[in-house]
Amino acid sequence: MSYEFSNGRLIFAAALMFPALVAAKPIAFANGTTIMAEYGAGTMEEVQAFYAPYYWLSLGGGSLRLDSDETDRTRSIEYLRVNYLAKRWNLDDAQANVFVWGGLGTATGNDFRGSRLDRDAGFQADYETRRVYASFVSDLHESSAYSHRVDTLQLGFAPHETDYHDLAVWFVLQARDYTGDIHRGTEYAALLRLFKGGAWVEAGFTGDGKPQIMMMFNF
Amino acid sequence: MRIFLLVFSIALSLLPATAPAATIEMDVNGLVCAFCAQGIEKKLRAFPATADVVVSLEKKLVAVALKPGQDISDSDLTAALTNAGYSVKAIHREDESLDAVRARLKASGS
Repeated sequence: MSYEFSNGRLIFAAALMFPALVAAKPIAFANGTTIMAEYGAGTMEEVQAFYAPYYWLSLGGGSLRLDSDETDRTRSIEYLRVNYLAKRWNLDDAQANVFVWGGLGTATGNDFRGSRLDRDAGFQADYETRRVYASFVSDLHESSAYSHRVDTLQLGFAPHETDYHDLAVWFVLQARDYTGDIHRGTEYAALLRLFKGGAWVEAGFTGDGKPQIMMMFNF
Repeated sequence: MRIFLLVFSIALSLLPATAPAATIEMDVNGLVCAFCAQGIEKKLRAFPATADVVVSLEKKLVAVALKPGQDISDSDLTAALTNAGYSVKAIHREDESLDAVRARLKASGS
């Protein structure tokens, strides 16, 4: 698997400066189910479902579609994945996590014949207080026909602290980089995130005015 | 009458020295978001002795109301929160009801 760094170096460097983090976690809580759907500015669409028997492990799968805005390439990837909480720091007023994952799936595309074995690997690091949060997610999908990595850095802040049953409001700035001729340059977005109880909705626009929407439900 | 007093005294002596606390409060680290609270609440409600649960992100507090005459040991509570992915700093057993805990949290702005 190649994990080379392209012009996402800026994102990666920024992620190292912030003790990484992530927004939507691949493991919400023990004995919990997470369902997530994301529409990423017409370039990326992903649906995931995971069940966590433990707070440090979840199992599930997803469907990822990539549409290049540089070429007419498309990818459709269906995969099974295991997520593992490698490290958690429970601090007085904060929590930080490092997750890693790996999986296998099948992929089809419009520039190769038949289906290919897809290998998925990635990690996520996040740091979160009740007012500030940062996350970095790197997800690599690779086969004999392609190699695509999606790196996403998010920095968020909440205008005020909320408690368990309150509606939480966050403003999030995002930078995302794709490798493998999916998108030229870094894509920036401004997002509004709302969550309450087990429901989470995040929506906004990229720098070129394309919509991005993400929904997540934990139960 | 003497026999009644004797039986009553024996019965009293057989009662536990202290009744179970009405509410158990836990100070928890890492409690920063609703998903954290949701996972902890789910774990604690799984105990048959649990009557109700309150989670305060502001106070980093988790409170469990017990069913009458029932109890959950400190070690079981610590294990439950550890298995939920959080760190327990302290456990206090209080006589006040969970409604009183809610009122106290509300009064303090939580």
